[in-house]
Amino acid sequence: MESHVPSRSLSQPKLLLMLAIVMTGASLSAHDMWIEPTTFSPESGQIVGVRLRVGQDLLGDPIPRDAALINQFVFEDAAGRKPLVGRDGADPAGFLRVATPGLLVVGYRSNPSPVEMTAEKFNQYLKEEGLDAIAAMRARRNETSAKAREIFSRCAKSLILSGAATAEQRDRPLGFTLELVAEKNPYALHAGEDLPVRLTYENGPLAGALVVAMNRRNPLEKLSARSDSDGRVRFKLPADGMWLVKAVHMVPAPAGASAEWASFWASLTFDLRPARPEGR
Amino acid sequence: MRVLAVAVVVLLTAPVIHAHEIGTTRVSVVFHEDRSYDVDVVTDAAALVEKLAASNGQLPPSSISLSTLQPLLTTFDETFRRRVKIQFDSSADRPAIAYSVSSGVDASSAVATIRLSGTIPSDARQFTWTYGWTFASYAMTVRHSASESPATEWLEGGQSSAPFALRSPAPPIDRLGTAWRYLTLGFTHIVPMGLDHMLFVLGIYLLSGRVRSIVRQVTAFTVAHSITLGLSMYGVIAVSPRFVEPLIALSIMYVAIENILLSELRSWRIALVFAFGLLHGMGFAGALKELGLPRGEFATALLTFNLGVEAGQLAVIGTAFLLVGWHYSDRAWYRSRIVVPASILIACTSAYWTITRLCS
Repeated sequence: MESHVPSRSLSQPKLLLMLAIVMTGASLSAHDMWIEPTTFSPESGQIVGVRLRVGQDLLGDPIPRDAALINQFVFEDAAGRKPLVGRDGADPAGFLRVATPGLLVVGYRSNPSPVEMTAEKFNQYLKEEGLDAIAAMRARRNETSAKAREIFSRCAKSLILSGAATAEQRDRPLGFTLELVAEKNPYALHAGEDLPVRLTYENGPLAGALVVAMNRRNPLEKLSARSDSDGRVRFKLPADGMWLVKAVHMVPAPAGASAEWASFWASLTFDLRPARPEGR
Repeated sequence: MRVLAVAVVVLLTAPVIHAHEIGTTRVSVVFHEDRSYDVDVVTDAAALVEKLAASNGQLPPSSISLSTLQPLLTTFDETFRRRVKIQFDSSADRPAIAYSVSSGVDASSAVATIRLSGTIPSDARQFTWTYGWTFASYAMTVRHSASESPATEWLEGGQSSAPFALRSPAPPIDRLGTAWRYLTLGFTHIVPMGLDHMLFVLGIYLLSGRVRSIVRQVTAFTVAHSITLGLSMYGVIAVSPRFVEPLIALSIMYVAIENILLSELRSWRIALVFAFGLLHGMGFAGALKELGLPRGEFATALLTFNLGVEAGQLAVIGTAFLLVGWHYSDRAWYRSRIVVPASILIACTSAYWTITRLCS
């Protein structure tokens, strides 16, 4: 397991501001997609709106429900897995009712969408998402300067807690093609503590993938790590509030896909409690 | 320890070609007849405020409510303008912007409607739109206010729209200008475009070189075609050109044949010319309907078009008089060498027209 210390100090806002000014206008090729429930800590019996968001640095746009894109839109509690209800074209895209207290796992798996990118954009995107193996494969095939056609799929999850947190409560795999699974209950953790996360691809560990974590209040202070041979990374989460953990994996597209590449975008959101009071 | 607030940059892409999920943002553009325009951006208010705050180096507001969103949007006006571009040809326009926020479908969401308004530059030919405050794909509709069907384009955040062609400004309605325009149109409808009408008038002229004869026929013709032109244009009568056009050709043939057979003006000739004038008036109306009449200056246009037709007829008669009538109408051979051959030519031509118009 490997953990990277943030490359920029939290106590250097001016430096960040300068960086921000430099980066303004820069162009990124790909955007994240995550789940943002109307509350991470509902009461038992409460109805929770489940928003889908696409964006960057946790600044996102709502994505209305699109039946044509949904492959799975479900939540799982102690009683099992249920679909999220919703109206096509509406935001929030889905709703769930908390039947009993406990940890709820919400998941959204999209059908693949096609996209075509210029060589410059695609190469930039591979670099930003740490997809070095694909960049190397393109170089070997003399395709670095060629445009790329891709099909991308979203594999987003969110953890919601109703009631008291216990160490026994666990995130559960939903069987998504690419999936992030928290190996500890984040709601049993506090700011400053470690969260182990496992990345799986087709239900097996995915090694060497870039996994990034960011906090809503300070999304430029990203934590990043490459998954180990068991697909694991461990992040020491320094701040409370909403966290997004994300990873992208790309493989050659299956035959007949009208694309060279297929990408999978995994994300996991949850809310972290403030740091434990000193002396406890 | 509390995490320090630091600037978060909205890295909304510039020319993005990555197709993202379709978001909730919608943009509609309307160009009005008075050369003003309105662009309405409808988007999630809270998401926009978060991005504006971050782009301004601020943390997103801790609590966002309907009542706080609108003043926040107004506060961020200059920031908002940075990633919105309205361009006419190669010049950027600075619109007036009004922000309003209303509750969404469910109580937890708020919708911002942002109206950007301005005036289209008088010489502008194309409109281009760029909106950089969304990460999702969005639809932009563009229409002229008079048009019912808008053009729709799907765009990514930061992507510029395809240039939208603007309509040429309508010329201001000016009575004198309208009068001159329709006077000219009426004249050119006879000379040089109305060969059939020219031949009819020539037929009237050729019967007799006497001024009295010409004046009586032309007056009867003018009064008659003015009546049917006016009645047709006001929609009182409507006869299909399928009937009118062959009958006009037939009337020319009749006048030409009568010129061959008779040498003096007879009383029934006046009545027939009047009747033919009624037919020609309906023909003029068909042409005028194709040209169109300005709504605000209908009567002026109708009157001046008719006057133009009269001027065209007089030009034909005047030219014929100057070329042959003045010098030769009192000669003994005038009828045999001018009137009859010319009338035969007119009769043959109009016979051909009658057949072709009946068959078309």
